[in-house]
Amino acid sequence: MTVQESCSLIDLKDVWTTYEGASCPVIKGVSFTIKAGEFVVIGGPNGAGKTTLLEAITGLLPLVRGTVTVCGKGVPHEGTTVRCNVGYVIQNFDFHPFTPYTVEEVVRMGRYGRIGWFKRESKEDFEVAQDAMRKLGIEHLKDELIGKLSGGQQQKVLIAHNLAKKPSILLLDEPFSNLDLITRDEVSSLLCQVCDSGVPVLMVSHAFDSLPDRDIRVLVMQGGHMVLDSHSAAGNVADLIRSVPVAG
Amino acid sequence: MLEFLIPNNVLCHAVEAMFFASIGCAILSVLITQMNIASIGFTMSHAAFAGGAAGVFFGLPMMISATALSVLTALVMGPLSYRTRMHTDTTLGVLFGTMMALAIFFIALMQSTGRGFDASALLYGNVVSLYREEIYALALIMLVIILLITLFSKEITAITFHRKMAEISGIRVQPVYYLLLLLIAIMVALCLPIVGGLLLYVWLVTPAAIAYQFCATIRQMFIAAPIVAACTSVIGAFVGITYSLPVGPLTAVLFSGVFVSAVALSPKRRVKNQTY
Repeated sequence: MTVQESCSLIDLKDVWTTYEGASCPVIKGVSFTIKAGEFVVIGGPNGAGKTTLLEAITGLLPLVRGTVTVCGKGVPHEGTTVRCNVGYVIQNFDFHPFTPYTVEEVVRMGRYGRIGWFKRESKEDFEVAQDAMRKLGIEHLKDELIGKLSGGQQQKVLIAHNLAKKPSILLLDEPFSNLDLITRDEVSSLLCQVCDSGVPVLMVSHAFDSLPDRDIRVLVMQGGHMVLDSHSAAGNVADLIRSVPVAG
Repeated sequence: MLEFLIPNNVLCHAVEAMFFASIGCAILSVLITQMNIASIGFTMSHAAFAGGAAGVFFGLPMMISATALSVLTALVMGPLSYRTRMHTDTTLGVLFGTMMALAIFFIALMQSTGRGFDASALLYGNVVSLYREEIYALALIMLVIILLITLFSKEITAITFHRKMAEISGIRVQPVYYLLLLLIAIMVALCLPIVGGLLLYVWLVTPAAIAYQFCATIRQMFIAAPIVAACTSVIGAFVGITYSLPVGPLTAVLFSGVFVSAVALSPKRRVKNQTY
């Protein structure tokens, strides 16, 4: 095991978090660490707090209690710095057909946080964005308006947007939800490559048939609590999650 | 500034004012429409209206009081929505009603106390009544808007595309958002004497709506909207002054006419004929 693999890139200790205006916490006392190169699937029923967990990691939500450390930075205090280095593919997006942004523009936007204030995009920024589009097979769509694409193509654009960031950690919320079976396999293989390069991948998903054939760490959430933290082969993830008794 | 082109001093001032105001408002209109904050623009234009009325009542310079109340409204919008646990649109509805009530209160009070205040200047504006300093202020804010939009083009592009994704990208959304609100507030207050509190909204939305009919990308909209707005406003000023018509309302109607024509001619409405 290399030094990089042994360091934890995400460290949650007794995390409680809530949405603004909510009366009770959505995440309750969750603790875990994620190391470089881990492929993690977060499962559990609807409303269990899976998406909220990703938002707590990215510092988008305030913490009620506990600590979140990402790449050595405290969240949410250093949330902006953390988000420059963390890819997060959101679940719900809906672009109007005439949203005035091309695919290339959207992918390049992934770099903007890293570039910083008052600076222009460099040649490298353009090249990284092109490379991300190439990896997702959407180069030919670069001049198309994002709203004109299908849901699956838009999903690929958002993944490319986050890959263009060259993230230290990649979080994905239901990344397969809009994709056809072949594209799921392609994206799954790509995520596997990302993971092999040392970048941990955390994915909220219900599409377990598309997981890459490798050792997968499975976290199961229920009612805001982490009820299972285990490892499984890709083919057994669904059974493992089903085996967790549902709390009354 | 343009006396060498337009010898008529009144017409020259009107054209200058309309030109600077329309370009500044048109650039902001692209942001307002793309960020879906049209109701914020609407509320702020009425806040400027109320601020102007309050300023006249208390004997303060109208532009300063209008700017102050517009900026104050921009600053309280976000925190008020959070504290009241209400949807932003509901909060804006309350703020809009409050601002309108304040404006009417001060206007009615001035009329009932016999202070001989003519509310029409506040309601519909009067482009020929501007002082030279006010035209310089409009030119300055227009340049500031262009400069800031250029400086923060990356951040603004990302925020107008998707605010949450911009935040996830590591962009500090809040400062940029409040900077935009501040610019809208100042622009709205400076435009109040030209087009009035009721018509100001036309300048803050319609140019982008027209540009949107023909533009595919936001970059194109940032170029087309000011051109359309400047042409329409300058024509409105020329026709209005030449034929002694109210310039503000006439230009607003012209904007609506251009919008209807743009919608009719828009390539976005056409379905491509394809042979299958």
